[in-house]
Amino acid sequence: MLAIHYDSSFDGFLSVVFEIYRQHLDVGDIVPVRPYAAEEGAAPDLFLQPFRVESDEESARRLRRAILNMAGEDILSLLDCAFRSEEPGIEMKIFAYLRKLFAQEGRNYARNPTSDEMLPLFTVARSVRREQGFMLGAVRFGKAPDGMYISAIEPKYNVVDMLAPHFRSRFPNGRWAIVDVRRRYGVCYEGGQVQFVSVEDPEAIAGIERSDEFARMWKSYYDSMAIKERLNPELLKRCLPVRYWKHLTERQVDASSLTIGGRNSEKRGGDGLGGANLPSAVARSRSLALSHGCM
Amino acid sequence: MDLREKLNILGDAAKYDVSCSSSGSSRCAPKGGFGSGCEAGICHTWAADGRCISLLKVLFSNACKYDCAYCVNRRSNDIPRATFTPKELVNLTMEFYRRNYIEGLFLSSAVVGSPDNTMEMLVRVAKELRTVHHFGGYIHLKAIPGASARLLFEAGLYADRSSVNIEIPSDSALQYLAPEKNYESIYRPMNFLAERKIGYDSDHARHSPKFLPAGQSTQMIVGASGETDLQILRLSAGFYQQQQMKRVYFSGYIPINADKRLPAISSKPPLLREHRLYQADWLMRFYNFRHDEILDETNPNLDVDLDPKAMWALRHPEFFPVDLQTADYESILRVPGIGVKSARLIVSGRRFSRIRLETLKKMGVVLKRAKYFIYHPDTPASLRRLYPEMVRPLLVVKKKPEQLGLFDNYVPALPAAVSL
Repeated sequence: MLAIHYDSSFDGFLSVVFEIYRQHLDVGDIVPVRPYAAEEGAAPDLFLQPFRVESDEESARRLRRAILNMAGEDILSLLDCAFRSEEPGIEMKIFAYLRKLFAQEGRNYARNPTSDEMLPLFTVARSVRREQGFMLGAVRFGKAPDGMYISAIEPKYNVVDMLAPHFRSRFPNGRWAIVDVRRRYGVCYEGGQVQFVSVEDPEAIAGIERSDEFARMWKSYYDSMAIKERLNPELLKRCLPVRYWKHLTERQVDASSLTIGGRNSEKRGGDGLGGANLPSAVARSRSLALSHGCM
Repeated sequence: MDLREKLNILGDAAKYDVSCSSSGSSRCAPKGGFGSGCEAGICHTWAADGRCISLLKVLFSNACKYDCAYCVNRRSNDIPRATFTPKELVNLTMEFYRRNYIEGLFLSSAVVGSPDNTMEMLVRVAKELRTVHHFGGYIHLKAIPGASARLLFEAGLYADRSSVNIEIPSDSALQYLAPEKNYESIYRPMNFLAERKIGYDSDHARHSPKFLPAGQSTQMIVGASGETDLQILRLSAGFYQQQQMKRVYFSGYIPINADKRLPAISSKPPLLREHRLYQADWLMRFYNFRHDEILDETNPNLDVDLDPKAMWALRHPEFFPVDLQTADYESILRVPGIGVKSARLIVSGRRFSRIRLETLKKMGVVLKRAKYFIYHPDTPASLRRLYPEMVRPLLVVKKKPEQLGLFDNYVPALPAAVSL
């Protein structure tokens, strides 16, 4: 039995599945190797033999086409969403589904949302999409000195690049970047192009936001909007979970801490990543393939 | 007075308006500008009272010439007054929007001078945003009762949604509490906008301008005057049908003014009643319930202990148990604990396999409520009838017993020492 390691991308995962079929591998587990959490990986399984599969565009493309033929567009995007949850063991769940899909009774089976393999993927994908929708509202841009709007977020699931089409259709002439602080990468939009950027020092980005007059006005406006007679901390926490508060301008404890954050970042601006030089300081990778037009 | 102070005063004055949605309008950023509309609407944050904040909700001015009993901004109240200039407000909206704080602007105003004057200022702000700055975000404009048709029409061209608040659910109570207003003055702009919208919607030419793409909404205050829930639901059902409203909002009355015509200032806002009304509203909008199914003359008020769907289910034992394998979508929707999403999932899943209790649980159905109302083969035949009087106590959420305080009923064993 093998424990297959791969580079934690969806293409990488599809390559793994492709190789499993091609080489008739006896797979026990599929383990992502995440660049931002390299040290804290779980202890390797003693009884599984480690095996590494490199991500390969061609095999990923072929598997994608096979899924499209067997199940259709919406199922492929559902699998993609479920994969983004990065839950431990999600790879094996998707693999179990694909195995059934490609087995004899596949075509009919693929449409059943209540099967034992599909239902967990369905509910996970639902919460990923919910967080994506939530994040469209919870991104807070701060204006960097050079006029770029930069935002740091910390979503539970890997949804950063799902946000790009929305903001591209919203600010087509602007320059903006959204960075996932925990996963140390983000999307950056400049001159009509969306690009992936990787970020070495996410702390600096968290600092530059919310240091201007409009941020303070927004904070005081937010405070004045609550009706005293209806205060309901439980409802607030249910709608706006505490784990998101860190990056929300209006949930910061007091307005003065906002300016301190701002000063810190100015100091740091020269080295690491001061916002002003975000596009140049980061390693660019291939641009995102996004659909044109609205959302 | 600086801008921040103005914003606080005018935001504070607008917060009792409960309309918050930014849905119903879908568009890309206009050429050369920015801002888009998202069909489903986007919540940006939630205030400390748990209400969502989606739009920059402000009054243009709070210097009102009317004296409505229930309103914070009535002229007899001694509060700080402020008025924006259109430029300030336009700038503020755009800067907030660029930072993704808001989904757009919700602009209302107290009546300053004449209704026409006020409406003109609101329209001017919207017009400047749309035509000068090519702003594509959401704009909700309040239609001021008594404003001329020309201004209302212009507002409809720039705004996504418009609203006129009915505030008090009966005409006589409204005239009693707000002497300067009556139903006629409120219905007139409402009907005007509704008719115009129908006219524009029937024009399917590709580039014809849109008129209020996100429709109209209204709000009524609950608990300030003596209406029953039935009256309120009947009124809102009428709004949905006749005026083609997208939403009717309910606002539990919060005593802000000491006035002998209104509940005492110490009374608590009827939050639970408001919640139940919203639940009933949802049943009408998404679950194909009619208002006269939810309530009738013999039961004119919603049950405080039970949600309206469970209440309806217990009054109609003949409808249950529903067999999930064969029942149609509408009947499945009527089972307490099963929502729109689960019902759809059941309907599409049962073509392939039997729907079992475990599957329901994994789908997210609230089995605690649903299990009494669905048919499944494991139930003994004798229990396949619904006995409302048995089920009701099982559905009512029990209040947690409160911890008794040690010294609440403390009676000192010895008489207090008398100091001599």
